[in-house]
Formats: sequence, C-alpha cells, structure tokens
Amino acid sequence: MPDWSTVLDFVGLYLIPGLVTGSIYALGAIGVSLLFGILRFAHFAHGDLMTLGAYLALSVVTGFGWPALAAVPLAAAGAAIIAVGLDRAFYRPFRQRPTIISVIASFGVMLMIRSAVQLIWGVQSLEYKSGIERPLLFFDQLRIQERHIWIVGVTGLLVLALHLLLTRSRIGRAMRAVSDEPDLARVTGISTERVIQVTWLIGGALAATSGIFIGIDSHIDSYMGWNLLLPVFAAAILGGIGQPIGAAAGGLALGLIEELSTYPWIGDNPLVSPDYKTGLAFAIMVALLIWRPTGLLRGRQF
Amino acid sequence: MSAPLLEASKLVGGYGGMDILNGVDIAVGSSEIVVIVGPNGAGKSTAMKAIVGLIPLKSGHVAFAGEDITGAAPEHLTARGIAYVPQERNVFRTLTVEENLAMGAYLRRDDIGPVTARIYELFPALKDKRRQRAGELSGGQRQMVAIGRALMIEPRLLLLDEPTVGLSPKVIEEIFERIQAINGAGVGILMVEQNARAALTIAHRGYVLATGRNRFADSAEALLANRDVAEAFLGGAGYGADA
Repeated sequence: MPDWSTVLDFVGLYLIPGLVTGSIYALGAIGVSLLFGILRFAHFAHGDLMTLGAYLALSVVTGFGWPALAAVPLAAAGAAIIAVGLDRAFYRPFRQRPTIISVIASFGVMLMIRSAVQLIWGVQSLEYKSGIERPLLFFDQLRIQERHIWIVGVTGLLVLALHLLLTRSRIGRAMRAVSDEPDLARVTGISTERVIQVTWLIGGALAATSGIFIGIDSHIDSYMGWNLLLPVFAAAILGGIGQPIGAAAGGLALGLIEELSTYPWIGDNPLVSPDYKTGLAFAIMVALLIWRPTGLLRGRQF
Repeated sequence: MSAPLLEASKLVGGYGGMDILNGVDIAVGSSEIVVIVGPNGAGKSTAMKAIVGLIPLKSGHVAFAGEDITGAAPEHLTARGIAYVPQERNVFRTLTVEENLAMGAYLRRDDIGPVTARIYELFPALKDKRRQRAGELSGGQRQMVAIGRALMIEPRLLLLDEPTVGLSPKVIEEIFERIQAINGAGVGILMVEQNARAALTIAHRGYVLATGRNRFADSAEALLANRDVAEAFLGGAGYGADA
C-alpha cells in the first residue's frame, strides 16, 4: 500500500502533467479526426494551425494587455475564420479530385502558415507571461499550477460541448451524416459545403485553443505545432479516425501514457527515460496501424 | 394515365465515356407503382440515377409535375418532393434510427413529430429500435430505415433502387406490402426490381429495359401475361414465380 505522500507526488508530478499534455493533444486530434471523417484527407497543416492560433493569442495578449486565457475566444475565432479561408483558397478547388491532392496541398499550406508566422512574429521562442507563478497547494504537499486546472477544465468543457453539438444539433447530426455517407447526405438535401465550413470552424478553433494552451503551459515558437503533429495524428488514430470524441479520448490517453511511462514503476529509475517519451507516440501509432488500423473505438481505416 | 407526375424521355448517358442509356422513356403517374425490370446491365439503376441527377445526361429530358428538372442537383429534387433510396449505402450507419429519420427531414423546418409517428406506424419494428444505430440492424430493418428516411419529406414520388435485394422471402413480402401502403397514401412509386415477377404483381405498370432501351412498356398485367416478356425477362426462378 503506497503511502499518502507518494500518491500525492504521483498525482502532482505525473498524473496532472499527463492530463495537461493529453488535453493539448485531444484538442488537436479532434480537428484531424473531424476533417478526415468529412473531407477524407489527412490535414497535415493542422499542427501549424495550432501554431497560428498561439501567435494570434500573443498579439491579443500584447495588444490589449489581456491574460492569455482571456485571449482564447478571440484567437480561436480568428484561427477558425482563417481555416475557412484556407479551405476556400487551397482545398475547395480540389474537392472533386483524388484526396491525395488535398493531402499534398495541406503540406503546402503547412509551409505557408509557418513562414507567415515567422515573417510576422519572428523565429525566436516567446512567452505570454514571464516570471514564475506560485502553484496552489493542496494537502500541504500537492502543488498544482492554476493554469493546469484551467487547461484541463476548459478542454473538458469543449469536448462536452462538441459531443452535444454532434448529437443534439441539426448541423452536428448533418456532420455525422456526411461523415457516414456523403452521397446519401446529398440526396437527403444536406448541403455538404455548409457542413464542411462548420467543420473547418470547429477544427480551426480547437487547434488554436490547443496551441494557446501549449503557450500557457510553456512557451511558443514557430515549430511548436509541427512538433506536435505526430502525437496528434497518433491520438486521432488511437481514438478511431472520423470519431471526434474518440480522438479526444485518444489524446488524453496518449498524454497520460507519455507522462506515466516516466514514473519509476519498477525500481527507482523511470520506466522509460523522459528523453524517449515522445517516441512512445510514434511506437503506438505504428503498432496501431499494423494491428488495429481502425483505432481502439473502431473508426474508419486511415 | 393523365398528365404524368414524372416524365423522362429519350435519356442518353452513363458513366465516363460509356453510354449505358441509349434512349430510355419512363413515366410515372401520381398514384401509380411503376416497376423497371430487365437483365443485369440493362441500365435500370442508371436510369434512376440519371433521373435524380446523380449522373449527367448527354441528352434527353426529365420533367416533374410539369416542370423541367433535367440536370438538377439531387439536393434540389428533394426539396421538390422527389425522394430516392439508393440500393446500397442507403442508411447513415453510425446514426440511430431516430437520427436517420430526422436527417430525412433535414430540409423541413416544421414539427416532424407527426410524420415520424406515421413512419413508426408503417414500420412498427423501427419504433423499438429507434435508439439503435442503423448499422447494427438486420438487412430488412435497414431497408425500412432507408425507406422511412426518404418518406420524411412526405414526397410525391418515391424512387426505390432494388429495395428487396438480399432479403428473405418473408421480409420481401413485408416490404412490398409497405410499398403498396405508401402508394395507397398517394405517393407515386418508381422502383427497380430483381424480383421482377413479384414486383409486377403489386405494380400498375412496368418497363422492360434491355441494353439501355425500352423493350416493353405496358400495364403490369399485360407484361405478366406476355409470353415473350415472361420467357426472356421474368425467368422461372425468381421469387414469386408462383404468385
């Protein structure tokens, strides 16, 4: 039976960071999964959409002097609108063509977003707020950063809101219908373009939120989203591609696996050296693609 | 037959460069059940897809309720009161039965409660399964969901592409009964059927297509009595041969 103090250490040093990382992955993975379900292509520029959102928030923070959390709605709305614009300009012209063309186009969009970010905001890494924050103290020993509570809490609310949208609202059901059978959706009278537009709005807003959370947790730089693309895709596949709520669960699971793998489960040393923890996402993705390409929740084959 | 609800004339077209239809004429009256029969590759399903705008026509015209609808997009036809049930992939698999029906009424802004209740009356089996995903249902129930979804707009014309393919004789009989009930409520029906003889027994008129052309067009009784049609197109093996 582990003693109370060990449990609190485990919660504070492994479980909470795992939930924070998982929340960030989840918000990115939802968009990848939604977009794949409806447009049927892997959106490789999604990581850079996260970067873009983080920098838009930076401008709000420096411009209005708002705290980063307060900048989330505005920056997310900006990224959502930009995502719709990118679709109009670079993906819609290829809608009736083989989807591989859209995949390649998304590589181009990825480079364009990154270069634009570097041109506008520079290449150095930046912070929303400098200085050290005192964590909240629970049970005289458990230290939790207030920002971590916000990140996990807001992510939870957003996932719940998305779930309600997909199951209760007219447009949400239409999104699932288009994801299921696009041709049948058309003969039913559903406007596919409208559904696609809403998908970009949601995907863009959640990607931006994810990027801002990275910045709130640590710092931002022009490669931050690119560096997260692999775990975000792994999370989307883990949850069953085309299943947005599954993707959120996949993101959370992946974040927890990464952090908990560094706990000294056997002996005194970390089970997996922290240097290798990002490799875990890759290993999980490879294993899934070989043995269970539909993901744990039986989504569409990637 | 007075002025037909649907009138498709001299349809020519197909996929890519290949013409599957070489001049097909089909008409459906507002209270009729019309069946298209014919061998595989005759262009039965293609004719139906051309009517609802899923494949482009090279020439020919389609008129609905006196209006020209040639080349109109499928989503616009739904709004006019033409409902189409494809042969395959005709339900939203991950949506529940109830959600499938609600999707069928996507274009309606009024209360869909009464029409939903009527669909459950027509297909009582669906009511018990309304919270189940359509993909988990049996073939017959799935077909009922597909037809129910199409009926949610309260169409004037219902197009059914092979509604009984792969179903057991008992379920086929039930589906045909329901189709007659739907027609009895004043919905014109055009269907493509493999079970030609059985389908003709519930139909008013029929068309026999072969190689993309009308071979015979007559009342269902006359087609059933026609020995040339019976020998060449109705076979002996089909379900309902003894009906």
